Amino acid sequence: MTVKGQKTGLARAEEICRDPAAEARRLKGQGQRIMGYLCCYVPAEILTAAGLVPYRISGEMRRTPTLSDAHLEMIMCSFTRSAFDLALRGGYDFLDGFIVPHACDNIVALYNVWHRSLKPPYSRFLNVPHVVSPAALEFLESEFESFRKSLAEFTGREISEAGLREAVALHNENRGLVRRLYQLSRTDPPRLSGVETTRVLKAAQVLPVEESSKLLGEVIAEVEERPAGPPSGRARIMIHGAQEDDTVFVELVEALGAEVVIDDLCTGTRPFWHDVDPDDPPLRALAERYLDKIYCPRTLRPRQGTRQEDLEARFGHIRELARQWKADGVILHIYRFCDILGFDAPDLKRYLQEDGRPVLLLEDEYNLSAEARLRTRIEAFLEMIDPGRRGEG
Amino acid sequence: MNQAAQTKTTATKTTNTSRKVRGLVKKMYQDAHEASRRGEPTAYAFIMSFSDEIIRAMDITPVWTENYAGLCAAKRDAGRFLQSATGEGFPKDLCTYALCGLGFDALRARLGQMPPQAPDGGMARPTVMLGSGMMVCDPRYKWFQALQRYMDVPFYAHNLLWPPYPCDLDEAEGYYTRFLARELRGLIDFLEGQTGRKMDWDRLSETVDLAERTLKIWWRAYDLRRAVPAPMPSEDAFNCMVPGWFLLGTREALDFYTELHDEVKARVDQGQGVIPEEKYRVLWAGGLPPWHSLSIMNYFESLGAVFPIEVVYRPWDPVEISPRVTDPLERMAQRMFKAWTYRFRRADSNSGVPDVELLLEWIDKYRIDGVFMHRAFSCRTVHVGQIHLLNVLKEYCDLPQLILESDMVDVTTFSEERVKTQIGAFVETMEAARERRA
Repeated sequence: MTVKGQKTGLARAEEICRDPAAEARRLKGQGQRIMGYLCCYVPAEILTAAGLVPYRISGEMRRTPTLSDAHLEMIMCSFTRSAFDLALRGGYDFLDGFIVPHACDNIVALYNVWHRSLKPPYSRFLNVPHVVSPAALEFLESEFESFRKSLAEFTGREISEAGLREAVALHNENRGLVRRLYQLSRTDPPRLSGVETTRVLKAAQVLPVEESSKLLGEVIAEVEERPAGPPSGRARIMIHGAQEDDTVFVELVEALGAEVVIDDLCTGTRPFWHDVDPDDPPLRALAERYLDKIYCPRTLRPRQGTRQEDLEARFGHIRELARQWKADGVILHIYRFCDILGFDAPDLKRYLQEDGRPVLLLEDEYNLSAEARLRTRIEAFLEMIDPGRRGEG
Repeated sequence: MNQAAQTKTTATKTTNTSRKVRGLVKKMYQDAHEASRRGEPTAYAFIMSFSDEIIRAMDITPVWTENYAGLCAAKRDAGRFLQSATGEGFPKDLCTYALCGLGFDALRARLGQMPPQAPDGGMARPTVMLGSGMMVCDPRYKWFQALQRYMDVPFYAHNLLWPPYPCDLDEAEGYYTRFLARELRGLIDFLEGQTGRKMDWDRLSETVDLAERTLKIWWRAYDLRRAVPAPMPSEDAFNCMVPGWFLLGTREALDFYTELHDEVKARVDQGQGVIPEEKYRVLWAGGLPPWHSLSIMNYFESLGAVFPIEVVYRPWDPVEISPRVTDPLERMAQRMFKAWTYRFRRADSNSGVPDVELLLEWIDKYRIDGVFMHRAFSCRTVHVGQIHLLNVLKEYCDLPQLILESDMVDVTTFSEERVKTQIGAFVETMEAARERRA
């Protein structure tokens, strides 16, 4: 859709998804400062309150990294190598800063290399504890306070409590819109395809939050106008994994006759499913949210109760998404050398299977290095799924 | 590996003190079995997690799981456990220490008994499992979480964070050390709840004191290794780290390093070297050892190259903790903070990479001719960042560098012929570099 030469809605999302750097450069040309960040553990709210644009860093799923080989070992996960490869190609020359949370061993290592090699004007490592505890909460609040001070120093502008509250409200609204967006794929057939969802989310994570929410609103309005069709009979698939910031893998699954209706991905539902409490002091509320409300396997919640109850606490949200979106099967798309997801894979696979859902575990690379093999395995999986069981749960 | 690489060299390289280590290792696993039989608590645990003194002060017998995998590798008996784990659905690229341990416990669960002929009698079934949410090493909490699939044993992990580089140390010290001390307190609460034992705080203080004295004498012993010829090689150190990391907080560990210090000093005084003709001194600059093929170091020595010192499994740098800090948990927290940030300020004024500062310092101190790293494919904790370190090091120091690739546990990754070719070329490069300098 185009209005007065300016694309809107899905067309704009597709445009941004294809070349997110162009959007960042446009904003930079308008005098805005762009802060690149990795993973879903950086409190974008503090960046927004500082008047900065949070920009989610991605790699290039359609390109095999080569330049990064001179800096990063092949035993690092392919996403981190790809993101750094893109940086070495000049793909992030517009960044005013680089922020990495303590999420996993791979990106801890990437921070050291990126910080020393590319020397961004501002760089910051945010130490997010792995284990949820009262002391961890207090620590993270201190860490965010330190982050706030360093950004205030960098920007020369105070980051007030009122500013933080306003930013929290804006990001909560944004997350709410993403959750509304996902509702559009609950129908049969889904009104929004998996490919479209991926594009919109990628665009939504590189724009200033107000523009991101505006785009989401446009997409929702546009898609809600689509007429409901008859049930498609195509298998409804959920994808679990890490960062799928391009449509390559989703395209592959959908091209084989399935519909990707829901996900548990760190560029998908994971960063958007839980809000920051707007009533608590902002840094405390942010610490609570980023420590304990994001359900990524990198966070360990001390076990409460039986083994089965622990599995419910770790994986119950994934099962609920699969049930609510009536997924016929789940693909665990695990990148090689990702210890975080890899250790969980056997437990998660069994847990979802015990809920009656077929599960396909794919060990793969971010860049889909063996597409033919993947295609064969996904085809076999889709053939195995019995669409007749759809609707349970 | 064929017979050649297994060949033993002259005996002067091994210190007498290090010969005691094999017995200590056997005894550790045996102690855990005996504690289990007596109904006393045992713990699966990880070294360098700052839990040693707490475990010792509460008379809980540790079972060091990573190191059991190393033992299995050294015995060339890890393959069946790795296969057991991948057969359970764990990706083969995960940490092979963890895969070996998971495979061991999966096999034990399937068999309903100890896997037959398990090295050193196998790991005793633990009362509790103690992981850690570390700055690096994700397997240290994911492994035991996954292990509950086979053993419904209480599991606890404490956070163990240190600041990234660069950072404002003055700002960070307060909230980091406060955090660590509280996390250690949480560990004590957990252990008291699980074992029914109460912490004896005076005893904990004594244990912390013992650990600090042990680390100091251990550091002093290794400081002597700057002598030429090298009095003690890295392969010896890969044994001698056992009391320091497995028995820290015990009198046994302190006595061991006191004896080692005296022996190394005597070797230095007598000018006794590791090999008859020491031509090249190589820094083990990073990487866990290939436990299955440590004898490859004999090949270095056959070419006149010796490893006088190693970055891995070294004692903490000798940090100063104010005597005014008397709370044992605060002392442990300060030790960790200061040890991990030991070279931050120096990095500020030079390379901008603390680990490079360590390498530069040791290249000078230990009169190094070449820099060596081993890269284990399955471990990101220690091995990602090696290329970067060597790239930065090259900006400041033009010594020959070599990275050998295999794994710390999985022997199938090791190619002796390839490795020997690389070592031969590396030694030639050191010789050429020496000629250029002459």
